[in-house]
Amino acid sequence: METLQLTQGVVNAILLSGTLTLVAIGFSIVWGILNIINLAHGAFLMVGAYITYWLFTLYGVDPFLSLPISMLTMFVVGYMVQRYLINLVIRAPLLVTFLLTFALEIIIINLATFFWKGDLRSVTPDYAGLGFTIGDVQIPYVRLAAFVISLVLTGLLHVFMTYTKTGNAIRATGMDIDAARLQGVRIPQTYALTYALGTALAAGAGTLISISFPIDPTMGGAYTLRAFVICVLGGLGSIPGVILGALLFSFIEVFSGIWAPSLKDAIALLVLVLVLIFRPSGIAGKAFYH
Amino acid sequence: MEREVILETKQATKHFGGLAAVEKVDMTIYKGEILGLIGPNGAGKTTFVNIITGMLPITSGKVYFKGQDITGWPAFKIGRLGIARTFQIVKPFRGMTVQENVAVGAMFGHGGAKRSPREALEHVDHIIEFVGMADLREKHADELTLPYLKRLELAKALAMDPELLFLDEVMAGLNTKEIESAMELVRKINEKGITILVIEHVMKAIVGVTQRVFVLNFGQELAQGAPQEVLNNPAVIQAYLGEKFVARFFRQQKAA
Amino acid sequence: MSDQKKAPIRFSSLDGLFKGRQGVLFSIFLLFILFLGVFPFLPFASGFWLNTLTLILLLAAMSIGWNFIGGYTGYAAFGNVAFFGIGAYGTGLSMIRLGLSFFPALLIGAVAAMVFAILIGLPILRLKGHYFAIATVAIATALGEIADSWTSFTGGAAGITLPFFDPIEWSGQFFYYMAYLLAIGGLLLTWFILNRKMGYSWVAIREDEDAANMMGINTTWSKVMAFALSALMAGLAGGIYAYWKTFVLAEEVFKIEYTLQMILAAVLGGTGTIFGPFIGAFIYYILITLLVFFLPVGQLHATILGAIIILVMVFTPKGLMDFISGRKKLSINALLENIRTYRV
Repeated sequence: METLQLTQGVVNAILLSGTLTLVAIGFSIVWGILNIINLAHGAFLMVGAYITYWLFTLYGVDPFLSLPISMLTMFVVGYMVQRYLINLVIRAPLLVTFLLTFALEIIIINLATFFWKGDLRSVTPDYAGLGFTIGDVQIPYVRLAAFVISLVLTGLLHVFMTYTKTGNAIRATGMDIDAARLQGVRIPQTYALTYALGTALAAGAGTLISISFPIDPTMGGAYTLRAFVICVLGGLGSIPGVILGALLFSFIEVFSGIWAPSLKDAIALLVLVLVLIFRPSGIAGKAFYH
Repeated sequence: MEREVILETKQATKHFGGLAAVEKVDMTIYKGEILGLIGPNGAGKTTFVNIITGMLPITSGKVYFKGQDITGWPAFKIGRLGIARTFQIVKPFRGMTVQENVAVGAMFGHGGAKRSPREALEHVDHIIEFVGMADLREKHADELTLPYLKRLELAKALAMDPELLFLDEVMAGLNTKEIESAMELVRKINEKGITILVIEHVMKAIVGVTQRVFVLNFGQELAQGAPQEVLNNPAVIQAYLGEKFVARFFRQQKAA
Repeated sequence: MSDQKKAPIRFSSLDGLFKGRQGVLFSIFLLFILFLGVFPFLPFASGFWLNTLTLILLLAAMSIGWNFIGGYTGYAAFGNVAFFGIGAYGTGLSMIRLGLSFFPALLIGAVAAMVFAILIGLPILRLKGHYFAIATVAIATALGEIADSWTSFTGGAAGITLPFFDPIEWSGQFFYYMAYLLAIGGLLLTWFILNRKMGYSWVAIREDEDAANMMGINTTWSKVMAFALSALMAGLAGGIYAYWKTFVLAEEVFKIEYTLQMILAAVLGGTGTIFGPFIGAFIYYILITLLVFFLPVGQLHATILGAIIILVMVFTPKGLMDFISGRKKLSINALLENIRTYRV
């Protein structure tokens, strides 16, 4: 491989890791706190991307400005979905919650395909193709912006979880639900809020992805799996773990994309299975099975 | 008189990450005895049993059963070899009846290889009777109360026809009357020729039923010997009940 | 009340099977099996019905297979479509590349599926809960992608075309009976295993794996066997399906919806029961047909599937059998029981 291709790959991987951190972090908190695998995560991400697309296409709203709208809308949607559907069976065996979120994903994708059609679409503001170069390495502005915004949002989440009362309530619920309840934490609301946060972060990631990549209704599934792989790589339950996992995964993805483009997803998935088998505690995290 | 050794650990050690849960423990269990294993909470008693029975991989050290090195064997092989155990937190097969629960032990345990499921189901009737659950034979395990779940644990272990039986806090959570009958049960099992290691928090039970006691503290051997002797050992009292109590205890002794 | 809560695992003695309400239901079930057995010779057995029933019976067979690992052993396998796909490709490729006739080719397809299940089962069956579930999804998805892109071997996006069944005028009946025998064979296999130590070991693992292990059960072997047998059922179904449709396409035979259908059929009829998945497959088809009929939205088929899953998961995750058999009365209260138990 040429040096240029290598450096460009490294830069691309780092830029990608920002967005993927955002994709995975919402998935991670829902998993860690509610103890469910939210298979609808990618579907919410896709809806976030479409909100940005329609705001831009119909009303000319700048995609970066649509970020808060997309996140806020999906925050409300997520809250409702958790409070009035998932919460009904939240403590049921794995099979039930797994199938439930799976069904949600199917419905959202199917409806999106029905109303918005299945073709690829792109958000193309004037500055879409612009960028700068360092040496021969190209850095598009939008990707750099997406990277920075992702890290800012991740930082904000960290601050929220660590320094606010609500954030502490969420973490307490994740650690010991009974103790949290005794401390006066309202569990149903906290669960719904956590899920809403996860959904909003997914939507935010969707918005950022829509600016850099073409979108279609089935785009989400791949991101759900990526989020899972990242959580496994980084270990469940810590924000630094997710960042590390995302970074690692981005390198795997970018370089397998260079070497074997048609097997990109297959390689990512095989990495997942290998990590599960040989390093079940993740690269940085604690053991998650006994 | 040379007593026959049934189980022996040599420098048995278990680390969790950097934490030593069990550190270089040498324990010998003689055939036919009831040995007590005590120690404060978190002393590593259950972990010790877990590494002997293959529930957890051992970090270093050796385990011998009747002279055979069983270090690192998978749990099911150890179970088939003749070591059975109960669990501190009961582990019934909730979807099965009492009879089926116990029959699983008779099917797969030490004497299981030669039994078909049908034979196993017939074989366990006397065991269910022995633990006093004959009326509950057809009940599902998830309908039982805790004292009966503890008995079920015992019945499942007995059905395996073990030579060595580990009883992990079978008496915790029982009232005085229930403890009495459980102790009686332990003695009766021992009379059948089964060697028993009783892990217990209830002191009364230990003194009443064991011939010898082994004390673990912070994963290491603290003392061993006859029950009364060990329980009056200051180091043991201190480990168990804390400094304050020891001071008071000795003040009282002096005063008396 | 409580003594009829769950049927015991044991099913070895046939006495009592024909007694009481249980007996009536079992007799009805046997009559239904007989009816299905002679169905192709009945005057109203049109191609449409034969076609539909073949599909249902194939689903029943796969669902019975899923029940081994998902229902009895309690491992939430979400990638059983992988075995269906391997069975389909194994059979198809053996027929066109090796020139084998259908039955040896089917055998190769099924064995390939089983071997694959054993190879991946050994490592991933050590995982628990979510991790096992996702690992199976990941493997099935990756396999589909590999099959899709390995054009020289699998035909890629163009698929592979198989010869027609000869004589073609008996094609409908032939595949109907293949599916029928597979489903019935699956029922007998379930019954057979439940009366062996294997059956007890599966349920013991589902209820408490550590205890099962300590009691002398080689849990690894039992789990891998459950996985391999579920792969056998799906692999055979895949091979039959491939020859029936005379066409294998990666996108089609690795569709995750098939896994969902298997699970849903088992759940509807009752997981961890002998007849549950078989009956569930019929219930599933009736439900989806009714819904498609009353809600004329062809492109929203997946939404309907999703809605069924949600309704079942929220209201009756233990299946419909208790209501059908009259063991439980269908009431608002009975439907809300699940929510009352599991909400926070």
